[in-house]
Amino acid sequence: MALTRANSGDVFAAVGDATRRQVLDLLGKGELPVRRIAAPFSMSRPAISQHLRILRDAGLVRVRQAGRERLYRLQAQPLRQVYDWAAHYERFWKDKLSKLGEHLDRMPEKGKLR
Amino acid sequence: MKRDLHFDVTYPHPVEKVWLALTDPQAIAQWLMANDFEPRVGHRFQFREKPQPGWDGIVNCEVTAVDPPHRLSYSWRNGNLDTKVSWLLESVPEGTRVQLEHTGFRGVRGWMACRILGKGWGSRILNRNLPALLAGWTGEGPVPQIPEAQCRNR
Repeated sequence: MALTRANSGDVFAAVGDATRRQVLDLLGKGELPVRRIAAPFSMSRPAISQHLRILRDAGLVRVRQAGRERLYRLQAQPLRQVYDWAAHYERFWKDKLSKLGEHLDRMPEKGKLR
Repeated sequence: MKRDLHFDVTYPHPVEKVWLALTDPQAIAQWLMANDFEPRVGHRFQFREKPQPGWDGIVNCEVTAVDPPHRLSYSWRNGNLDTKVSWLLESVPEGTRVQLEHTGFRGVRGWMACRILGKGWGSRILNRNLPALLAGWTGEGPVPQIPEAQCRNR
């Protein structure tokens, strides 16, 4: 399995930040304008907008114009890649640890490596 | 340290031999991946695999701890995710107990599980139910949530 796909690095970077995870949590409850997203944070609007841009670039939020407001909504499908990534390593290490065991069985007990 | 993946295996071999298998570049290549590892703190190296579609096959690492024959750690950078791999070796009557930790996932993984699972969770639930839930969930609309307190319990 591929560990990262095209653009998926952005998803990992996007959810790697606690503020952005909180933003996604807020949007998990429904569509919101920027002012409502910014309200719980002691952060400037431009700073929040920057976080929203990263989330949008990662495909995690979608934005639409409604009158004078820009409304953001959660788009969670890309999160699947993050889950797949961790699940991949569980299989990866199980396989490698078993290979390590086989390798140890082949290695001479004393002296140099083959 | 936050633990994400944890493995505990005992091999019927002496600890020095296991240490060699974990730290000799040729030995590592036999069971893990091609590499330019050196058992020296601060040494930067790569693990290389055959590139796959969407993955260049490269893991960027830096040795962060070497305490022969018991402890070895290195960073494990792949894409934008920065994780850490630690090996702990211990002599036991049956041979060598090896504990492997791959950390750095939890912030993201735990958050996902808390948001996506509708009820309490453990590793079994996470491993068995999460893929099914994700498969069934379109990613549109409200995300099922569980109380914050439950998320912090684990």
